[in-house]
Parts: sequence; structure tokens; C-alpha cells
Amino acid sequence: MSTIDCTNKTVREINQYIRRNMSEGTDEIRITSPAAQHNIGVGLVQPVHLSIDGSVGYYCGGMIDGPMVHIHGSAGWGVGEGMMNGTVIVDGHAGNGAAASIRGGTVVIKGDAAARCGIAMKGGKVIVGGSVGYMSGFMMQKGTLVVCGDAGEGIGDSLYEGVIFVAGDIEDLGHDAVIEEPTDADKSQIDDQLTQFGIDHPGNFKKIVAGRKLWNFDKREWDVWKSAL
Amino acid sequence: MCGIIGFMNKSGAVTSIGSTMLGMLDALGRRGPDSAGIAVFSPQNGNRIRLRVKLGDADAPSERTDAVKTQVATVATIEDATVTGAYLRLEVSYDGNPVALQHAIEGVHSEIEVVSMGRSLEIVKQVGSPANLDTTYGLKDFIGTHAIGHTRLSTESRVDLSHSQPFWAHGLLDVTIVHNGHITNYHKLRRQYEMRGVRFYTENDSEIIGIYLRDRLSQGLSFDEALHASMVDFDGSFCYLAATADQLAFAKDPFGLKPLMVAETDEFVAIATEEQALCTVFKQETQAREPGPKSIRTWRLPDTTGKQEAA
Repeated sequence: MSTIDCTNKTVREINQYIRRNMSEGTDEIRITSPAAQHNIGVGLVQPVHLSIDGSVGYYCGGMIDGPMVHIHGSAGWGVGEGMMNGTVIVDGHAGNGAAASIRGGTVVIKGDAAARCGIAMKGGKVIVGGSVGYMSGFMMQKGTLVVCGDAGEGIGDSLYEGVIFVAGDIEDLGHDAVIEEPTDADKSQIDDQLTQFGIDHPGNFKKIVAGRKLWNFDKREWDVWKSAL
Repeated sequence: MCGIIGFMNKSGAVTSIGSTMLGMLDALGRRGPDSAGIAVFSPQNGNRIRLRVKLGDADAPSERTDAVKTQVATVATIEDATVTGAYLRLEVSYDGNPVALQHAIEGVHSEIEVVSMGRSLEIVKQVGSPANLDTTYGLKDFIGTHAIGHTRLSTESRVDLSHSQPFWAHGLLDVTIVHNGHITNYHKLRRQYEMRGVRFYTENDSEIIGIYLRDRLSQGLSFDEALHASMVDFDGSFCYLAATADQLAFAKDPFGLKPLMVAETDEFVAIATEEQALCTVFKQETQAREPGPKSIRTWRLPDTTGKQEAA
């Protein structure tokens, strides 16, 4: 394992250190005093374990393919955005657009996530121990978003084949988002995931899926289309 | 993509707030290299009013200083006058309407602008980095109870001293704002104010916030009510901070499109566009959180007048 102290280092120096150590075969890198700098550990496409002691700025772990990034603090906007595979764990809270557009892998936020969490997901899993802000899961095309707390306005708006589970209160369902009963398979999958990441089980989940009314245009449903975004 | 910051020491005691603000501004400097500025509130000196007057756009002739002083002396008693950087700094004893004093000064020459006026408030701002601001005005030596600051990336209007922030709410003592974002109905609001004879000093949309708050406060709304009203009347993406002689507040637009982080302890509240500014200055002392969309929060200094008398 190697360690880098970010004090007085630029983001480029930090990321170059990470890449150099990975190319030399280091499989675990500890990053201390990140001081909420942006873009730490972006675009890494080989397996590695990054352990970050403190809060990070924007896009931490964005566009990765394979690494495990554990943030022992909070994350700014766009944590794990666009990732292909791997795991990002945030012990604290996450800002807007957490796990936006991910294609695979798992993003775990133990605290709350702000607005637009899991927006435009194309695969992968997002597990939030707390609540999510407005428009979370907007236009999810695939993948799973699990919210143990409450969901803000417009959850699951214009869903495709993404699936959202919410345990707490739903402020308002998005357009064409409908609630159905989770299957036994859904329940056991959620149970396993929460246990795996040490998140307390909040009890029953509601399952949100697409009502499929916006999938094909039908002029008889003009009223639905008019009010959709 | 501007950076805004705010700090208040909740006990109401004076701290070396200049170096705190400089540290935070430096950490955000990357967000906006065009200009930097701070507005600091320090305990008032009797009933004196402090003014910072911009003398001109470039090197203003020295006789302009004398002309302003002569003009001020006709309506107020000048207790102190110094030229510092691009400003003439005045301390005056004056009981009249602040707007009348402001107009008297600005009547001397069209380039002259009263940048700040208040019993506690002083604004320093200029083109360039926060480090330059420290070099010119000795930011590190500023003391005060609370302050707001700004570092600017200009997107729509000119880069000069007048277009820099913080903005004083022209005409209303001790009210100032900093803003990150765009007020998209600025032109419409500006037209409405201009039809009522309000003077605008810049083409900067942020200026409307100070003018709006002055208007609402002078209509009798409380500070908090004025902030809530702005949430209805402003369109666009914005986070702004506003401060008065004893209050500090933030307002975040209904879509939460602009970032803002708040760190609060029993002793202080610190606000910054990015968490880096808080981490750099306050180390790991505190946990920062991002307020939700459409949120407003106000902090007020304790009323210490009674205590001072007892001491």
C-alpha cells in the first residue's frame, strides 16, 4: 500500500501519483487530506483500491472501470459519474448528480444524496442510506436505485427500464412513474446488498417502474405528453 | 462560475476576519480570476458613517479628492479622510438621509461612485486575484464580526471595479450582497426599477439583488421576508449571500443549480461555493453540508449592547 498526502498538491499531481503507483503494481492507495479537491481518481480503468480520508470535491471516481473507491467523508457533485464498472462508497453525503449516467458498477452513499441522484443511469446499482433530492432517477434507462430514506419531487420521471426502490416517503412521483409491489427476488436482493455494505434495513420498500405511457407516442394521450418534460 | 463566501462569528466578538476571508477567497480563486472583493462588518465607531468612494475609472486626478471632501463638508462633518488604493475612505458624522449624502458625492463627477456606506460596513474590491486585493488593501489586517466575499468569472458584463462584487445596496446603510449565478429576468426587473428612477451603476445582473433588497426593506419587509420574496421574484440559477449590520443570510434558487456549502459550529458559520474553501481554512474541524434547493437561512449576531453597558 502507498500513501499520498494531498496538502499543497494539485489535482494533476495527485492523479499522476495514483496512476504511477498503479502501473508499478500497487493495489491499494491511501489518499490523505484531500481538502475537497475535484476530480480525484477519475478515469482509472485498472483494478485498484483507493481509500480517501476526508471529503472530496466534484466527480470523484468518475468514468472509472474497475477500481474500488472508498471516500471516508462526503462527496461533492457528480460522484462516480459515468462509471463503467467498479465500486464507489461514500461514508458521508453526496452532492447533486451522484452516479449520473453510470453504465455499471455500484455506488453506495451512506448518508443523503442531493438532487438528480442516479439521473440517466444506463446500468449498475446505486444504494443510498439516507434520502435523495428532486428528480432522482430521471430518465433511468437501466439499473437499480435503492433509497432507504425519502425521495424528493419527481422521482423516476420518464423512466425506461430502470427500477427504483424507496423505503421512506415519496414527495411526488415523476411523470409516468408507477408504484408496484416488490417481488420476493427484489426483496432478497436488497437485503443482501444492504447487509453487504453495512446499511440498516429500513423495512418495506416501494418499487417504482415505468408506466410505459411515454415509451411510444400516442396522440390520444396528448394530455400526458403535454405535461411531461 | 463565480465563488462566494461568508463568515460570521456567532458570539459577536471581533476576529481577524480579513485573513479568514483571504484564505477562503484564495481557495476559490480558480473559479473566478477576474476580480475579488470583500465586505466586512466591524463594530461601529460612535455614530460615524464610513464611506468608500471610487474616485474614477483610471488614475483619478488628485483634485477630485478635494472636490469630494469639499462637497461632503457642506452637509456632514468629516472626521477622517484617507486615500487608499482606488478609494477615498471617509468617516463622517451625519444625521441626514444617506441617499442625499450619496448623491452629493456622486454629483461631483460622473465617474465617482459610493462603493459602500454604513456604520459597520466597508467594501473593498478590485480587478485581479485575492492576493492582489491583500497587497493593495492589506486584507489580512481587517477585523470584524462577519463578512461576505466574492471572486468573479465575468460572463456578461465588463471587468472593472464597479462591476466587481460585493455590491452595496446603493442608498441603504450596511446592506450588501454577493452572488453566484444568473438572474435571468434581470432586464425586466431593471426596466421596472428604472421607470421608477432608480440608478444602476453597472450592467451586472447581480447588482439587481442589492437594489431589490433595498426596495423590499424600505417597503417595510423584514430582512427574512425580503429574502423570501426574492425567491418568488428572481428567475434563473442563483446562490446569493446578503448581510446587514447584524445578520448574514444565504438564498439558493428553487432548482439548486448553483453549489453552496455551509459549515456551522457553536462558534461560527462559514459558507462557500465549494467545500475546498472551508477545508482549507477550517481544516477538519467541521462538517460541511449543502443546503437543499429553494432554501434560505439567516444568522443574527447576539444583541451585545446591554452587555457592553454592564461591563
